[in-house]
Amino acid sequence: MGYTRDILTIAKWEIKRSVGTMGKNVLPVALILIVLLIAVTGFTAKNGLHLQDGIYKVGTNDPEFASLFSGDTRFSVNLADTGTITHNQDSFDLIIFNHVVYVHDTDRGRAAAKTMDRDYTKYRSNVYNQQSDLFAAYPLWIDEQYVKSELDFAATQSGQQISLRPRSSQPPQPTGPVEPVVLPEASIGVSSDELRADLQQSTSRNSQISRYTDMFSGSGNPLGTYKTPDQLSPPLPFDSIILVFLFIFPLYFMSQFYMMSIMNERVGRRGELLLSTPAKPSAIILGKALPYFIGMVGISAVLTLWIQASPFIVLPLIPVILFFLAVALLIGMISRSFKELSFISIFFSTIATSYLFFPSIFANIHVVSLISPLTLIILTLQGTAITVTDYLYSTSLFWLSAAVLFYVGVVNFREERLFSQSDLFAKTSDFIASTLSFKRPYLSLFLFNAFLIPFVFMVQLMLLVLFFNLPMPLSLILLLVGAAFVEEIAKSLGIYSMIRKAPAFFTWPVIAGASLVTALGFLFGEKLLLFVTLSQITDSVFGSILFTSIGVLWMPFLLHFSCVLIIAASIKKGGEIGYGIGLLTAVAIHCIYNMYLILGWFS
Amino acid sequence: MAKNIGLIMKKDLRGLGHERTILLAILLQLFIALFSSFLMVGLTSMYDPAALSKNSPIHYHIAYSGSDSGLRNLLVSDNSLRVYNMDLAPALQTLKERKVAAVVYVPDTKPDAADPVKITLYTIKNDLQAAVVDVKLKEQFVKYEGELRQIRAERIDAEPVPLEIPKNTGGNDFYEFVYGLLIPLLVIMPAIISSALVIDLITEEYQNNTLETLLSAPISANEIFWGKVAAALVLVPLQAGTWLFLLVLNGITVVNAPQILLYVTLLAMVLILVASITALYYRERTAAQFVYSTAIVVLMLFSLALPDNPMNLIAKLSTGSAGPEQWLVLGLIIAVVLVLSVATNRYAEKSMRINQAPR
Repeated sequence: MGYTRDILTIAKWEIKRSVGTMGKNVLPVALILIVLLIAVTGFTAKNGLHLQDGIYKVGTNDPEFASLFSGDTRFSVNLADTGTITHNQDSFDLIIFNHVVYVHDTDRGRAAAKTMDRDYTKYRSNVYNQQSDLFAAYPLWIDEQYVKSELDFAATQSGQQISLRPRSSQPPQPTGPVEPVVLPEASIGVSSDELRADLQQSTSRNSQISRYTDMFSGSGNPLGTYKTPDQLSPPLPFDSIILVFLFIFPLYFMSQFYMMSIMNERVGRRGELLLSTPAKPSAIILGKALPYFIGMVGISAVLTLWIQASPFIVLPLIPVILFFLAVALLIGMISRSFKELSFISIFFSTIATSYLFFPSIFANIHVVSLISPLTLIILTLQGTAITVTDYLYSTSLFWLSAAVLFYVGVVNFREERLFSQSDLFAKTSDFIASTLSFKRPYLSLFLFNAFLIPFVFMVQLMLLVLFFNLPMPLSLILLLVGAAFVEEIAKSLGIYSMIRKAPAFFTWPVIAGASLVTALGFLFGEKLLLFVTLSQITDSVFGSILFTSIGVLWMPFLLHFSCVLIIAASIKKGGEIGYGIGLLTAVAIHCIYNMYLILGWFS
Repeated sequence: MAKNIGLIMKKDLRGLGHERTILLAILLQLFIALFSSFLMVGLTSMYDPAALSKNSPIHYHIAYSGSDSGLRNLLVSDNSLRVYNMDLAPALQTLKERKVAAVVYVPDTKPDAADPVKITLYTIKNDLQAAVVDVKLKEQFVKYEGELRQIRAERIDAEPVPLEIPKNTGGNDFYEFVYGLLIPLLVIMPAIISSALVIDLITEEYQNNTLETLLSAPISANEIFWGKVAAALVLVPLQAGTWLFLLVLNGITVVNAPQILLYVTLLAMVLILVASITALYYRERTAAQFVYSTAIVVLMLFSLALPDNPMNLIAKLSTGSAGPEQWLVLGLIIAVVLVLSVATNRYAEKSMRINQAPR
């Protein structure tokens, strides 16, 4: 009872404090700025973005084309007589004489030709959709139907592309049962007036904005399923992705306030007062986080109402919010100065945004996309149902790592950590060391490494998403080396922090024992998390590895153990330099192991 | 005067170097550079698969169903497609199993009929490969549309003015993305980081109560102020220069790099001065950063809506299409910098002397 009351009291203080400091001076300015922001957004929407004005130069002697293309601000059009233009022909990217476009042979010239082609297509559509006989001008209509394919994790994971079978003249045969289908109607079933209205709407869309989206998705048709060939566009969920940004940005902003509030406690040792109250550190941390948490959930809820989406959208956001707050807490506790705070938070937010954002581009395509909770939001927006396993799969890493980070924050929320001025690496190492107990070194190393797994997975999945795009052999090699590096660094963190704190404690037998439990903890966490999260995809395979074939477990255990031992021994022998050498050796061994066992090289 | 400013600048830069945070900034730049080049490779391979597979042509399997038409001939003539005649039901099942990339169904409509030809195209929902196949099929669909238009030509009452644009010039779709979006954003980023940095440098002295100590030394308030501005400013051309260098390493030629650096530095000066006025006024980081970052969004949006804005100029300089108007813009920016400098100088002198508590 007392604990919850503490949390609530501190939450109340926090609200009072932030309203007090922000209220008088900031609120009026913020209001003015928000009004200005709305006004400027309106102005910009009306005036258009003038970022790419005049990057292409066009010369023509035909006033008709001059007026046609000067509508596009990217072209600066020069109307002159033939002689002047031929004289200065090198200064033009495109020259139009007698209805023929001549392209200057440079990258810019070729890009200009492509842009002009798009503009001309638009102009042609404008002429054609005025025709009285619309079906003479647009004789071909495409009804695009999407078929949902069963996701084949094994096939896509091994980099196999669809329908790339060896040459054969035989048509492919279905293996599954063939369901009867109704043949599509030959008639279009929509009046030509409706289609004309659609066409006119899609060509008159704000070209300033669609220019940027067109770069990725072609000139899409927002209405109806019927398209002319020109409107056929790759089905990428870009609209939903933009919406997703709308959700993430305010969350990031709010977590900044929490970060600052923690940092402010440390400036001039102001937090001593709080620490001297009977409230526990965890109550202080949670109490200070509570107003921001409620605020972030509130903003998300309001946004959801505003775009009239399903309220389920908020569910995947909650672990993200907690994760942001947990990171904000640690950044606020670790940075020595405001500059450091800024840099670390910019760094973190870029990485986090790419982790969240990039996989969601592949929503519906590849299971990889599910590593980001944002994918769940996109799926919900598209009307695809989400299962509980989907939810667990994409959010479990966020729940777990938020919990671990909060724990690290709570353990370190005391005077000697908060007010120390040691540098980033030393402090991180101190933070880790204080989560580990020297009374029960083996147990805490085991647990530490087991709890490290969510982070290792996050980084490795990030690498996977990064390298996913590259051609096949290269991506696999980069992934192998990168993953080995991440794993070896992670495994060495606990042992390194402990040796650094108490070198004398680590005699050779203790080093061996510590390496043993580190390897065990790592393996345990790895298998457990794989089982919980990935079992939905390859249920049987992981089941068999975990429960039946113990022999398969021996190999990775030996690998983890020997690698940690190498690193720990080199730290004991050679200190910091030894650590570097040991790490590189371990990574090399790890890579060779992976190549031999997983890829079957050298055999 | 200059010597003292230099001293403060060195102190703040040393602080940055000592904290090793600048390492993070560099790491971040590398990360983004890596990321954007991966993104480029990925997107290019998606939209222009031929670009990556010149030596080993990829064949996409297409199931063709329904009645025979001119479209079938066009599809067969495309070397990157492999067309099979199939019934619709088994074709759709093979599509679900990913054995074909798309199914095209063509009904029995005469090319010169009054009604349009309505074909049905089945693809896999939201699939990268489906996107590629769409692009491939689109080429043939557009050709077929042209053929049909030709057949129905006499029913069209007004033709558009003909214009012959060479196709397949190899123009890169990402030219505009790189020069018109990526480069301006990348070089402006150091300016924004530096302006956020100057807020930290100033509010830190207030909140740690170190300003009094500094002022008790034989250094004037203005020298302290300008030292901090100089520390933030000097990082801008360094970072932006690194960006441009990385881009060149990636095979993207940037002409007029020195001018771009000059513009970015001047722009950074404007942002840094606005930021430092905010910091001097609030003397407290949370408030100053919040107000400044909202203000900067307003400022950026507004300037982007104006023709010949500085970001546009950077785009034009990097493509080499900037005309004499660049000198006018340069002059304007210099004027703004001068006016702002004088104003900030006065404000700094006044506000750093009187009471030092955060507002």
